[in-house]
Amino acid sequence: MKQCEGARAQVAFYLDNELKGDELRAFESHLAACPDCRRLCDDERSFLALVRAARPLYVAPPELRDQVERTLSNAPATYAASPQLRRRVQQSIWQASATALDSSNARRASMLAFIAIFILAVVWLIASRRDAPASGPSEFAVRAVEMHQRYLRGQLPLEISSVSPEQITRWFTGKVSFNLELPPYQGPPDQEKLYSLEGARLVGFNNDDAAYVAYQMQQRPISLVVTSNSVVLPSGGEEIVSQGMTIHYALVDGYKVMTWSHKGLTYALVSDLEEFGQDSCIVCHAATKDRIFIESLKPKGK
Amino acid sequence: MTDLDKTSSAFAGAALVHIDALYGFAMTLVRNQSEAEDLVQETYLRAVRAFGQLMPDSNLKSWMFAIMRNIWLNQLRHARSGPRFVELDADTEEGAYWLDRVTKDPHASYVEKIERQEVRAAIESLPRLHREVILLRDIEGFSYQQIAEILGCPAGTVMSRLGRAREKLRLLLAEWRVGSRPQALKANRA
Repeated sequence: MKQCEGARAQVAFYLDNELKGDELRAFESHLAACPDCRRLCDDERSFLALVRAARPLYVAPPELRDQVERTLSNAPATYAASPQLRRRVQQSIWQASATALDSSNARRASMLAFIAIFILAVVWLIASRRDAPASGPSEFAVRAVEMHQRYLRGQLPLEISSVSPEQITRWFTGKVSFNLELPPYQGPPDQEKLYSLEGARLVGFNNDDAAYVAYQMQQRPISLVVTSNSVVLPSGGEEIVSQGMTIHYALVDGYKVMTWSHKGLTYALVSDLEEFGQDSCIVCHAATKDRIFIESLKPKGK
Repeated sequence: MTDLDKTSSAFAGAALVHIDALYGFAMTLVRNQSEAEDLVQETYLRAVRAFGQLMPDSNLKSWMFAIMRNIWLNQLRHARSGPRFVELDADTEEGAYWLDRVTKDPHASYVEKIERQEVRAAIESLPRLHREVILLRDIEGFSYQQIAEILGCPAGTVMSRLGRAREKLRLLLAEWRVGSRPQALKANRA
């Protein structure tokens, strides 16, 4: 009887192939000798067969399959290093190899290496605005790109559609824990607008509500994600310093994302515009005076 | 083609095989077709970025299920702090993209179809924790250990939860056979 109790507790494990070794042998020998337990086991087997015959419960709609196939074929396997970073790494490797091969005299090699590094550093300081080595994109940058992609796929519908920055500013009031004020259009009034505002919605980041604002420039979408400094600070990517502001630039899934912090807020701007995507800054800096700042973000030699 | 491209392409082929299973799991979690599709997309997006971290001897399918559940949990956590997420527990019909297999014998096919519909409807009507564990074990065939890893709980919890879920499912099916079948199924039979 006690044996039966033990065996019955194991019926499910047996039918789920979770009994092994001695346990399995003991169970099977009990089953062979006990018609009651065998019947119970058969009942359970029939029940599970009925349940399992219901599979598959769902098939993915063909459109979803197509979308996922596109995702898999388009998305790069890993974050792609920017051409600038590649060049920088190649240059460092070449410099290191050349220095190492140049002399058998350790002291002379050290001196040459020092001089080479010094010259490189001076050239670097003069020629480059980037003041920190590049690293991987921050979580905030990655999430901003994901939001941009979801918006493009129609999976992030706007909660307010408006071309008015004032109306969107009002809409965010009380919905987010920070003060977000979208600047009014500052471009030349007598010319065609450089960009258009599409609308906005709330998005989640780090268990807090962030603001998502959608723009278009030359029919190319731009996403702006804003959250508070207390939620996240910009980091990662290549640092571009211009006019006292540090912009973190990264390339994620082929999209350009710039993150920065200003007056207690952290911003991410995502686009597929040229170079660093710095022209997307126009959505807040369309005024002529600000164009100098945007120009200053251009990669060297452009 | 670089090694990375080859690996990436091999991953794409292997991962796509699981799309129906992932969609089924997504439906089990969110019970809404568009949310489920969103969740599947998101899962593939995360997986394609992270597959470099997948150990060679890992199970791709259970790894992707775990990714999906983590994304869903994060969404749920976020939704709890805002009003935008609605778990459509009452919505058992929307997005029911069920596969109906065809057998050679029309009568057997009809009976099987009704049985499958009953079982599916019964699974659908279980509480989320129960339908999740039934789907992972009886529909997708994961081991207790794999389910524990996907759900982030001890294997013992999986065993006890599965036992309760099956008991509930058995009772539901028995009740329905006595006559109190849900309206949707009665309509299907008519």
